[in-house]
Formats: sequence, C-alpha cells, structure tokens
Amino acid sequence: MKHIGKQTIKLDTPPTILQTASIVGPKEAQGPLAKYFDQCLEDEFWGEKTWEKAESKIIKETVNTVISKSGIASSDIDYCFAGDLLNQCISSSFGLRELNIPFFGIFGACSTFVESLCLGSIFLDGKAASNVLCATSSHFCSAEKQFRFPLELGNQRPPTSQWTVTGSGAAIVSASRKWSIYNSCYARKDCRYGN
Amino acid sequence: MKPIETKQEYSDYVDKKSPNSPILKNCFNAFWVGGLICTIGQFIMDFCKYKGMDETGASTVVSITLIAISAILTGLNIFNKIGKFAGAGSLIPITGFANSIVSPAIEYKSEGYVMGVGGKMFTVAGPVLVFGISASVIIGIIATLFAH
Repeated sequence: MKHIGKQTIKLDTPPTILQTASIVGPKEAQGPLAKYFDQCLEDEFWGEKTWEKAESKIIKETVNTVISKSGIASSDIDYCFAGDLLNQCISSSFGLRELNIPFFGIFGACSTFVESLCLGSIFLDGKAASNVLCATSSHFCSAEKQFRFPLELGNQRPPTSQWTVTGSGAAIVSASRKWSIYNSCYARKDCRYGN
Repeated sequence: MKPIETKQEYSDYVDKKSPNSPILKNCFNAFWVGGLICTIGQFIMDFCKYKGMDETGASTVVSITLIAISAILTGLNIFNKIGKFAGAGSLIPITGFANSIVSPAIEYKSEGYVMGVGGKMFTVAGPVLVFGISASVIIGIIATLFAH
C-alpha cells in the first residue's frame, strides 16, 4: 500500500465487495430503487418502542442478512466498521454487539459508509484482516429528533430540505484473491473460463 | 457551462436550480388559517364577556383555551399537519407556542419523564422564553426607574 499524492492511497491488491444487503423504510420503498433492496419495512417502528431501537434493529437485521447471503461465518469476519448519526453511534454499537466481532465505531455523517469501506480496505491490504464488515444506518425520525425538530412540531419544510434515509446498508469486503479474480472477470464479461 | 469559482457564483447557481417555496400559496394559507384562529379567539372572548367576565378574565380564558386545543391537537398528530399547511398562520399565534412545548415533550418521552420530558421540553421554546422574560425584566426595570 502506498501513499500517493496528497489524499490518495494505492492498494497493492484491490479488495472485493463480496456481498451487500440493505433494509429500508416505507418512504424509500416508494422510490424507483425499491426492487434493489433486500427488505422494505412497512412500519418505521418495526415493532420497537423507540426510533433508536428501531434503527438498531434495522442495522442488526441488515448485517445478519449480508452474513447469511455471503455464506461466510460471522466468526470469519475479523473486524466491523460501522457508524450512524446518533450520539455515541448507539444504533450500530447496540445492533452489532451480539455478533462478537471487534467493532470500530466511525462517524462521517453522509460519508460514514464510504469511510467504513476505505478503512476496511486498508485493513485488508495491510493484511490485518481477511474479511471485514462495513455497515451504516440512519433513521429519519431519530435523526430529526437528534439534529432538527420534534416530528410533531408544526413547521414547514422548504422544497429543497433534505430527508434523512430510514434504512441500513452493509457490505462484506474481502481480501480473497479468488473472489476478486472471479468478480473482475465477471465484470469484464470477456473472461469465459474463470481463470 | 463556465466553471463555478466563487461562493457567490455557487450560491447563484443553487438559487437558479432549486425550486422556490410557493410563497403566494403559503401566504394565503397562513392568512386565512391565522385569521380563523384569531376569529375563534375573538368568539371565545365575546362569549366570556357575554357571560359576565371582565376584559382581563376573558383574555386569560382565550389564551388557556387556545393553548389547550393546540396541545391536544399536537398529541393527536393533527397540529403538525395544520402547521405544514398554514406555516406561520398557526405558528405565530399562541397555538404555535403551545405546540413548540408539547411536541418535544412527546418526542423525548422515550428518554424518561425527568430527563426526557422534563429536561428537553423547552428545547424549541427555550430561547423565546429566556429572551422574552429577560427583555420584559429589563423593560420593567427601565419603566420603574423612568416612568415617574
């Protein structure tokens, strides 16, 4: 791994995103991307009592989904990089604590997920890990509560105001060369023999 | 397109691209909803006077009634819909003030009654209270010193 330029790191072996999963809330389910999500929730509480617990459940279930889809045992995942928008990253840390994977809590607001991929890739390239889990979550209601106004407050939103996503995304990133060769061939479509 | 270099250019570009708030429609809705709330207030006041209350008593009853109505509507998840429709029309009268105290109380109930409801109840209305009360104290002192 080499530091080139001012803010670029060149990795020796490109890491591979093995598998991804996502769970979203009802508003996201109405959008054009709905068919790409693993699960769309009908209720923003998802059976929990608070928005924070609901968000925690969303990230927990997303991570469980990505692990079961990937076929990698959770004991083979070396580190977990995850974060969210809440104080002390409570939704990720509470959502992921039962997995027993060493956890790095990160915060980058909108960039949290890419930040987790960057840090995870560096861990993989530095041979400190062979599989890492990267995840993030947010919840419209918990974010409004934390950063803006209570939901019941009767204020108007301008047409350009942003709407925090209710949902979670997770990816398992691996250093495995077998997979990276397979995937790069798959992407090129000209590699017919799987070499 | 020529590259955007200064902050001013960027802000002009954003203004050009972003949709504007429907100001005329918002003003109209704010006008008639705000007017309706004030008319209800006036109706309560006239009713109280008709029943034999004096001016001060009647205006107190108006405030209490409007606050109670908007607090109940906030709890029923109706006031925020009125607020989204009417904007300042429902926020500026005393109804908006009641809403700004009740809504955090509902929102933070999940954090417990003492530190949640009690501690966070005034997160929205707090600045209004602090500066409103401070201003009234200062003006009160000035009035006492110089009014005579």
